Amino acid sequence: MWPKISRRLLLQELRRGELTIMALAIVLSVTAVLSLSLFSERLQEGLLARSSEFLAADRVLSSRREVNESWLTEAHERNLQTARRVVFNSMAFAGDELGLVDVKAVSEGYPLRGDLETAAEPYGEGEVTNGVPPLGEAWVASALFQSLQLDIGDTIEVGDSAFRVTRVVTYEPDVGFSVFTDSPNVLINYADLAATNLIQPGSRVRYNILYAGEADAIAGYEDWLLPQLNDDTHNWRSIDDGDAPLARSLRRAERFMMLASLLGVVLAATAVAVAAQRYCQRNYDVVAIMKTLGGSKAQIQKIFTLHLLLLTVISIGIGLLLGWFIQWQVTELVAAQLDTTLPAAGWRPYALASATGLLSSVMFTLYPLLRLIKVPPLRVLHRQLVGAADIRWLHWLLCGGTVYLLLVLYSQQWLLSTALFAGGGGAAVVLLLIGRLFIGVSRKAGMQAGSAWRLAMAGLQRRAGANSVQMISFSTAIMLLLLVLALRNELLADWQEQLPDNAPNYFILNVAEEKVEQLQETFAAKDIVSNDMYPIVPGRVTAINDEVLRDEVTKEDRDADEGEREEEGEAREGFGRELSLTWRNELPPNNVVVEGEWFGDDTTPQVSLESQVAERMDMKLGDELEFNIGGEVFRVPVTSIREVNWNSLQPNFYMIFNPATLSDFPATYISSFHLDQSRKSELNALFKDFPQVSLLDLDALMAQLREVISQVSLAIAFVLFLVIIAGTLVLVAQVQASMEERQQELVILRTLGAPAKLLRRSITYEFLVLGGISGLIATLAMELSLLILQTQVFEMDAVWHWRFWLVGPVAGAIIVALLGRLACARLIRRNTAQLIRTLA
Amino acid sequence: MLIQTTQLEKKVTTSEGELQILHPINMQIAAGETVAIVGASGSGKSTLLSLLAGLDLSSAGDVLIDNEKLSELDEEQRAKVRADKIGFIFQSFLLIPSLTALENVMLPAELAGHKTAEQEARELLAQVGLSERLHHYPNQLSGGEQQRVAIARAFIGTPKILFADEPTGNLDKKTGNTVEDLLFDMNAKSGTTLIMVTHDGELAKRCQRILRMDAGRLNEEQRDVA
Repeated sequence: MWPKISRRLLLQELRRGELTIMALAIVLSVTAVLSLSLFSERLQEGLLARSSEFLAADRVLSSRREVNESWLTEAHERNLQTARRVVFNSMAFAGDELGLVDVKAVSEGYPLRGDLETAAEPYGEGEVTNGVPPLGEAWVASALFQSLQLDIGDTIEVGDSAFRVTRVVTYEPDVGFSVFTDSPNVLINYADLAATNLIQPGSRVRYNILYAGEADAIAGYEDWLLPQLNDDTHNWRSIDDGDAPLARSLRRAERFMMLASLLGVVLAATAVAVAAQRYCQRNYDVVAIMKTLGGSKAQIQKIFTLHLLLLTVISIGIGLLLGWFIQWQVTELVAAQLDTTLPAAGWRPYALASATGLLSSVMFTLYPLLRLIKVPPLRVLHRQLVGAADIRWLHWLLCGGTVYLLLVLYSQQWLLSTALFAGGGGAAVVLLLIGRLFIGVSRKAGMQAGSAWRLAMAGLQRRAGANSVQMISFSTAIMLLLLVLALRNELLADWQEQLPDNAPNYFILNVAEEKVEQLQETFAAKDIVSNDMYPIVPGRVTAINDEVLRDEVTKEDRDADEGEREEEGEAREGFGRELSLTWRNELPPNNVVVEGEWFGDDTTPQVSLESQVAERMDMKLGDELEFNIGGEVFRVPVTSIREVNWNSLQPNFYMIFNPATLSDFPATYISSFHLDQSRKSELNALFKDFPQVSLLDLDALMAQLREVISQVSLAIAFVLFLVIIAGTLVLVAQVQASMEERQQELVILRTLGAPAKLLRRSITYEFLVLGGISGLIATLAMELSLLILQTQVFEMDAVWHWRFWLVGPVAGAIIVALLGRLACARLIRRNTAQLIRTLA
Repeated sequence: MLIQTTQLEKKVTTSEGELQILHPINMQIAAGETVAIVGASGSGKSTLLSLLAGLDLSSAGDVLIDNEKLSELDEEQRAKVRADKIGFIFQSFLLIPSLTALENVMLPAELAGHKTAEQEARELLAQVGLSERLHHYPNQLSGGEQQRVAIARAFIGTPKILFADEPTGNLDKKTGNTVEDLLFDMNAKSGTTLIMVTHDGELAKRCQRILRMDAGRLNEEQRDVA
């Protein structure tokens, strides 16, 4: 019989809307978790794929020798796609002209990720091109047309082979930010490589194998291959290695998504907890009546357990549908807006979402349910009787444990979860104490005020215990909302700063000293804003203090090899290669001195080091570095160490000297400038007078970066939206629950003839104060959490958010008061007799 | 004897020390009797009722129902006794707001595992004149109607004993009278033992015996059987 009673109770209560909040809370927690994890999983996969384009593959094996053929066979057996890319420097001849070029021989399939773009004429509009240059043909960079006086259809000779130039390469996904790869590219077919006879034993060549495929297959292959690699000759790279453009920003975005989603989950779980408490309280009378009518504890236990389970299962079902739908809509939107498709997600989000709904519903209800089942039958005569509350610690243990478990389940990171949980727990205790203090103070203040205020303050004081708990949930909700909002604003601002609309999209290299002024005048005449000109002097570091460095890797090797980094890149075997050295009085933008002092106008010979390279090479402030520039050897001390923002689109340097040390050496100059896409056609004319200058076009790359950023921004807006919904639900659930407590008092006051206006005002004021205090506490807590998050998790500078100190309390007061007023309006609208009957 | 108490006492501990709510009570009620317990507010009427019905436990002494000592039963067993032998009517009706009239009446029979709960409930609701209101929720019924639903619920499963706590206390005179008539009428038909707590003298007089509670002590009023 009990399942029938249980089912009937559920249906009737659902119909009457009595389970709405509880069901909504579960639905929301499931919806939030599902849509967030589905979306972020798909987005992450999508971003990864997008980022992989910077590698032109998912993984790249780079080697100084030919790669073992069996490694490729193994890759094919594991259903991985592969392509070959061989890169080396060579001279290219076209008629009487000759120049140094980077030759890139690629096999069919290149690029495995991203698109190659070519144009029909130099500096023309690039279009996506499938396939690689046919045999006997070469596709070359725009700059080469200038320096070799080429036209489409002309022939260039590379080694023993001649190639007909048929297309202009405008964008190679794997070209990266390699400003110092100063030779223009020549792309040929891998099958043509042998005939050039350029590859001889001892040639400086980089053999790359590109891999792409399913994540599992890649991981399996990685496990198989890595133990066989030799650190000296092989280099295995993925996009996670951090040398991709915006890698840090993407990692931040990922962390933000994770964190915001976690907070969303906690909020949704809080809503379930609040609703569960209220759900059980509402049923105290029902249980007492059932017991009086002879219902046994076991029966009642079964009735309510089933009732709750049914409710949970139905809500989870709705949540899954809704979550899938929302995520689908957003994904469609993203896809439509960004002209991209996102990969499908696996089963994990569904399992996670269902587990969240089930866990929060069962665990948060367990204690209220225990109390419910313990309600004595005598309650039918004495309404104040409730179930024993001697195991309150169990409740906190269950709630805490569940929240922690959800954090771990969702993030799969023990450390982050523990930190968040411990921080949250500590904050809750502090909030509780501060809240009580505030209520005490406002009571005194309220005594001086009019009757509605006095009533409100008396109410606050009387319910101090319950109010402190409410205040915690109000504060938590408001705090998490502010937190997500503030973080989002800062991340967006941070990215915007990195990629402003007028970010430099061209680099110019090889500007001769005597041409600098002329070039600057040309720029000024054409209204083009360029960055500072930086002199470049190639030189080697030969010793640190008295330790002579090994000289194994050459600059040519390096350039052919890496090509990913804006700067000189990572030295794996010490500096034995040429670096691009510069001199300058002022500290360049986006550089911060972290140790020592910037030399400024000091004329004593000295050098300033970039911090990462200093760390890697174990060079310290005060070390004497020995340089060899064109045969001239000299020693200078390190007087400062700088942190450099490598994501900034400007020339960045490992070593900066003071002018007195370096300015006598012959130098070429580099700079960057911004030219609107629409003025691209002016480029040819612009550089006619500067045939030696090389131009590096970053437009395509920047478009790609912008796309990634807008994708992430959209995702963040979505997360924010869900967190706001979750937060609002917590507020609504909490106000609803507290209304129940206020009901009796309202009835008494109403019966005593208190006008509706007075009651409405007193409740509005009470919630106004409660919301305002919660908002203030929330802002404080948000500021503290943000301080930790920004410095520890997001690698950003901590900033103070003055605006939020106004927004937090005001918004908190208004929203909570509004919700309170709405909730009490329903009570006040009913006539007194009706109210008394509900209480009877 | 259907109900018997021996030296039944109830004490509670308050902040001002121990409070004796019921002084030792010895009484006997035979099957089919109608008994009114009257007295001023706070005299201990409701406490006595809660002990007799096994809703609460005595501090000393015993309640025997059908020779079964309630003090020796645990809560589950007492619930079983209520399910099998006892019906209730309360001043505040105590209907479950989310269930319809029919479902409220069915509930005790269902809890006791009756297969014919719905049929029984429909018949009882017809007897109290609410055939047209089967699917109404308590808040859609007037006070009198709610109490009639409660009466129907009290009689389902044909209990041996019916406890009524101020059954007309929340009703106006006219409605109260109708409900009283209905209650005594149904009680007479089913031969149930009725124990009613009231401070309505008129209502008490309709019972065969009147027990007066005075500051926790019980005295039987000697009167002619009506």
